[in-house]
Formats: sequence, structure tokens, C-alpha cells
Amino acid sequence: MVSKLVTDTATMLEKKATAKQTGPDAMDYPEQAIGEPFVKNPKMSMRNVDVFYGDKQAIYNVNVDIGQNEVIAMIGPSGCGKSTFLRSINRMNDTVESCRVHGELSLDGEDIYAAKMDPVALRARVGMVFQKPNPFPKSIYDNVSYGPRLHGLASRRAELDEIVENSLRRAGLWEEVKDRLDQPGTGLSGGQQQRLCIARAIAISPEVILMDEPCSALDPIATAKIEELIAELSENYTIAIVTHSMQQAARVSRRTAYFHLGHLVEVNDTEKVFTAPEHALTEAYITGRFG
Amino acid sequence: MTEIKRSHAETIQRSLSKRYRAEKRFRAYGMMAIALGLLCVALLFVDIIGKGHKAFLETSIQVDVTYDAEVLGITDLQNKQQVALADFQGLVKKALQKKFPDVSKRKEKRELFSLISSGAGYELRERLLRHPELMGQTETLWLIADDDVDTYYKSIGSKGGAFTGRTSELRQGWIDQLEQEGAIKLGFNTTFFTSGDSREPEQAGIWGAAMGSLFTLVVTLTLSFPIGVSAAVYLEEFAPKNRWTDLIEVNINNLAAVPSIIFGLLGLAIFINFFQVPRSVPLVGGLVLTLMTLPTIIISSRAAIKAVPPSIREAAIGVGASPMQVVLHHVLPLAMPGMLTGAIIGMAQALGETAPLLMIGMVAFIVDIPGGFTDPATVLPVQIFLWADSPERAFIEKTSAAIMVLLAFLIMMNTLAVVLRKKLERRW
Ligand SMILES: Nc1ncnc2c1ncn2[C@@H]1O[C@H](COP(=O)(O)OP(=O)(O)OP(=O)(O)O)[C@@H](O)[C@H]1O
Ligand SMILES: [Mg+2]
Repeated sequence: MVSKLVTDTATMLEKKATAKQTGPDAMDYPEQAIGEPFVKNPKMSMRNVDVFYGDKQAIYNVNVDIGQNEVIAMIGPSGCGKSTFLRSINRMNDTVESCRVHGELSLDGEDIYAAKMDPVALRARVGMVFQKPNPFPKSIYDNVSYGPRLHGLASRRAELDEIVENSLRRAGLWEEVKDRLDQPGTGLSGGQQQRLCIARAIAISPEVILMDEPCSALDPIATAKIEELIAELSENYTIAIVTHSMQQAARVSRRTAYFHLGHLVEVNDTEKVFTAPEHALTEAYITGRFG
Repeated sequence: MTEIKRSHAETIQRSLSKRYRAEKRFRAYGMMAIALGLLCVALLFVDIIGKGHKAFLETSIQVDVTYDAEVLGITDLQNKQQVALADFQGLVKKALQKKFPDVSKRKEKRELFSLISSGAGYELRERLLRHPELMGQTETLWLIADDDVDTYYKSIGSKGGAFTGRTSELRQGWIDQLEQEGAIKLGFNTTFFTSGDSREPEQAGIWGAAMGSLFTLVVTLTLSFPIGVSAAVYLEEFAPKNRWTDLIEVNINNLAAVPSIIFGLLGLAIFINFFQVPRSVPLVGGLVLTLMTLPTIIISSRAAIKAVPPSIREAAIGVGASPMQVVLHHVLPLAMPGMLTGAIIGMAQALGETAPLLMIGMVAFIVDIPGGFTDPATVLPVQIFLWADSPERAFIEKTSAAIMVLLAFLIMMNTLAVVLRKKLERRW
């Protein structure tokens, strides 16, 4: 399978020749993600992104756009840098001492890493749901109302109550917790905790929601609820979701990006990625040859 | 295949019993260590309580006191100077004379008069000033006995016979006589808990030292807790991790191990010689103890902050909390129990500290009860040190009693630490 976008054929073919016998390996990365990494009306755009942990490079020259109100899924084998990339988008990586991010990342055309961009304000606009559920050791109510209170989104208690109820409802948790809002969020089951974290993230109505394997701790029913929620949210929000479940990616996303050892290999319409992947690595992954 | 499996099972079985034996042995070592520790504590307590419990009782003697204006030399009770110069001890002497009319020799009289503490005069003065109508009247009072009498009276009937010491046979006879009349008794020793230090054991109390300790600890706590917590928060949450912060960390850990007397020298050089803080006062004591407890508080606070799961911080940052808000809303509340425990243990350490305070003059003999941070004062452990050094026999039991009071405070503080931790601790 030959990449359409690869222009530097001479070196690439040479690399491929050695790679062919051993199967897909590091030599096989396209210079540019193949497929359609760019869109016409990007909400966020990432150009030449390199991320380092100390001396170790975790992300290599990634170029990709996230469109307005689109759901983009990020897939790839464990340790390929999906979380790292996601955390670079809302500057969560600022908290990691050794982490450096190079390249141009922008939200609505504003440079995310510009000096005048306030990371606190950025994270209010680009919310995040983490891989492991991490509710605050506070009541369920306080967990959800924390963000709105922080940003002054509700002036009266009744408004705050409404935000809390709405967020919990949309996260599919309201029915289960409405009678015990004053009980600790840490007392919920793993799946409930994750939905609580989703409720907490959407309570501040961010423009973009980054979800790092939000369903890895959920049962199929809760997962279905979250997927429904994602579909509903995508009407108003832009969503990037990391997932290990290809079925999930197929169900919720419009486009899918495939990462491999820090390289963005292919970005295409989800259907295309799963039915007719363009790159050998993508194919190998979705057919289950490694992961 | 099954052969191999069975032999595996056997090997595991054999190693299992070995493991269990090792476990049992280890548990036995642990129990032995704890038993040894408990034994030492028990010995300490038995010894101290055995020696000190009698200090909570004091001997008093019943006499009929007549407030005789002539003896006192007072014509007008409002006249402060007259009252100040009045011979109240004379009333005591008169009363004793009345009780034992046969005593006439000068030398014997002197012995008789020293049955009752020289502090009794002050008591009478207080009483008369409060009730001026008593002038000229006679009333029956229990007056506090001299320390030699106290020691002798308490030791009557003890194993090895009564301790006579400086109590002559003549006095022993009088005491026996008083005993038969029911005019001598042991009562609860309020003096011990209400007065300051004194050269006379029967008038010496720990209240002065306790207040000194209190003022010193207040200074220490109000300085070291906020400073320690801020330092810990800064180092853990905000400081870049580089060689400088490593250096600071190493130095803080070193400071925790510096002998406390060094802090005393430091305090002497800096606070007293350079900043001209008056010596012997709780303020300077508190400053020195702050220096001493800061490393403890910083280290325990940092440990408490480190124990807050990073996922909580990420969650807060993720919904748009600023670094300061993350600390105030999440890290501090979660780390507070650990920090408080550290602070209380630091305070307990400060409460029991003597050496650095010797350096800054808190070892002075101070009778007055300190009323503030700049009054000369001493503290409980120094008081113990002072009493242990005194020659009077009666100070032995005072020393033990003071140790008991100090231990009671320490136990209270440590219990408070445990209770606070239990109460504030949250699971996540
Ligand atoms: N804080 C860190 N310090 C150093 N290296 C890190 C750190 N976080 C991640 N890495 C490294 O960066 C690479 C990418 O990690 P990342 O967590 O982004 O993978 P991932 O694609 O999210 O994997 P998974 O699917 O298992 O969550 C890995 O090699 C990992 O070891
Ligand atoms: Mg991950």
C-alpha cells in the first residue's frame, strides 16, 4: 500500500524495502499524516507539534485540525502518545515538569501557547475528562458545581442547582444520584464516578471537550449512555475522544486519527479508516495485528 | 505432566510452612519490641508517680489566729505602707505560742515557729485585706506547714520509717501532739497548681512555668505553623525542581537533625544580641523554638501534600482552577490532617525542650507568674531541671509531680493529634 501524500519517494521506498520483511516499524511513518488531516473550518488546528518528556520525544511532528462541532476519535496502540497529544491541546502538560511542547496549536485562530493565553481561561474553554475517574473527595453536588462556581457561571443557588441537575442528567447519572447529592462522589462505583467526571466537565460548558478513554471503566449500558451524550453534545461542542474501542470510535466519531509511536499516521473519515485504511500501519492495527 | 504438577504443589507446600514460620518469628520480634517499650514506659510511670503523687497533697496545721493590731503594728488598714510593713508572720508565731504555751527557750521557740511556712503570713494578709472586719477577731485556720514538716508528716508510716531529716525530735513531738488533737492534716495541694517558683518548697508551684510554656508555645505555633505550611506548599506545588530546591530540601532535612542547643545559640546571637529582644521572655523562647520546630513542620507538611493524589490536582486544573485555587480548595484541605499532626508533634517537641532555652536565659529563678509575652518566664521542662537541682528534699516530689504535669500535657497533645487526624481524615 503506497501513500498518496508521500513525495519523498526515494528515501521512503528505501526505508519501506527494509521494513517490508519485518512488518510495520518505525521506518514506515509518512512524513505527513495521510488522508484528510485538515478541514475547512477548524475549531482547533495543530501544526508541527512535537512533544518531549525530558529528552524523550513522545509526539513527532503532528499536523491535524479538529473541525467545528465535530467528533474526532484518536486511536492507536497503548503508549503511542494519544493522551500526551490530548493533554497538549489544553495545556494540561504544563503541570508535568519535564514536558515541552513545540509547534503551533490554536483555538479559534488564537495561539494556545502564546504568552498572553491564560492557561486557566483556556482550560475553561477546553474541558477534559480523564482516563481514570478522579472525582474530588467532596459531595456529588460540590463535584459538579465546583467549576461553575469557580468561573462565576451562576449567580444564585437556584441557577447552580439547575446547572448541576442538567449536567448530571446529560451525563446519565441524575436518576441514580438525585437523592444523595450531598454524599461523597468518591463513594460511587467506578462507572458512576466517570460519569460524574463527565458531568463536572460539561458543567462549565466548554467549547471543546477532550475525553481520554472516558468509557474504559464503564459497562456497556453506561457506555451507550455516554456515547449518546457525545452524539448529543456534538451539536454544540467540539469533541476529541481517545478510545481503545474501535467500535466506539466507529459509533461516535466523524473522523478518526490513527497514532503510532508518537506519529500521526492517518486521519480519515471514520468509515474509511475502518473499511479501507490507506496506510499499512492503520490496517495492521484495525485488523488486530498489534495493539 | 501430572508428576510435575504434584511436585510443584509439594515444593510450594514446603516453602509455605517455611514462610509461615518466618512470619511467626517476625511477629514475635515485633511483639517483643513493643513489650520492651511498654515495660520501659510502665517503669517510668511507676517511678515518677510513686515519687511524685504526694506532691499533690500538702500538710497544713490548724491554729487559732487573732488579728491583733498591736502585733501587726497597723492603725489604719487603708494605709498601704503600714500593711506592707506589718508583721503578719507575728500572728502565726503568736498562734503557735498559744498552742504550745510551755515552749519558752529562744532556740526552741525558733523551732516551734518554723512548724508553719513563712508563706502563711502572706495568706493572712490577703485574708485580712479581703475581710477588714476580721481585725481584732480570732478565727481557726488551717495554715500551710513548713516543707520539713510536710516531708516528715508524709513519710510517717512509710516503709523504712519516717524521714526525719531536719525535723528534730522536739518538733516530731509537737507534730505527734498536733496529730492527736487532729490539728494537722493532709489536703489537696492547690499551691502547687496556682503559684510560681519559690525557694521554699511548700510555696513553690508550677503555674508560673505552665504559663511560661503556654506563652512560648503560642508564639511558636503562630509563627511556625503558617511559615512551615507556606514553605511546604511553595516547595511542593510551585518551586521549580532544580539544584537550588534540592539544596534547600537537603538543608531542611539537616536542620531537623541539628542538636537543639545550637538553635539556642543561634537565638542568643540573632534575637538577643542583634535584634535586642529582651532575654528570658516567652517571645524569644518562642522564636527559638520556632526555628527548631520549623523543619519538623515543613517535612511533615510536605509529606502530607505529597500524599494528595495527583489526579485530584489534575481534575481541578482540568475544570479551570488556577494553581492557587488548586492548593486552597483541594490540596490544603486534604493535607490538613497530616499537617496538623506534624504541627502538634512539633509543638509537643517544643513543649519538652530545655537545652535551647537555657541559652537564652529562660533558666532564671522567676517567682512572678508571667502575664504576657515579654514578662520574664521559665517553662515546664526548665522548671523540672531547676527543681531537680535544688537541695531541699521536698523538691524531689515536686520534680516528679512537675514531670507528671508535663507528661499529661504531652499525652493530651498527642491524643489531640490522633483525634484530629481521625476526624479530618478523608478517604479518596
Ligand atoms: N509524565 C511522563 N513522563 C515521561 N514520559 C511520559 C509521561 N507521560 C507519558 N510518557 C511517555 O509518553 C509516551 C506516550 O504516553 P501516553 O500516555 O500519551 O500514551 P497513550 O497513547 O495515552 O497510551 P494509553 O493508551 O495506554 O493510555 C509513552 O511512551 C509514555 O511512557
Ligand atoms: Mg492514555
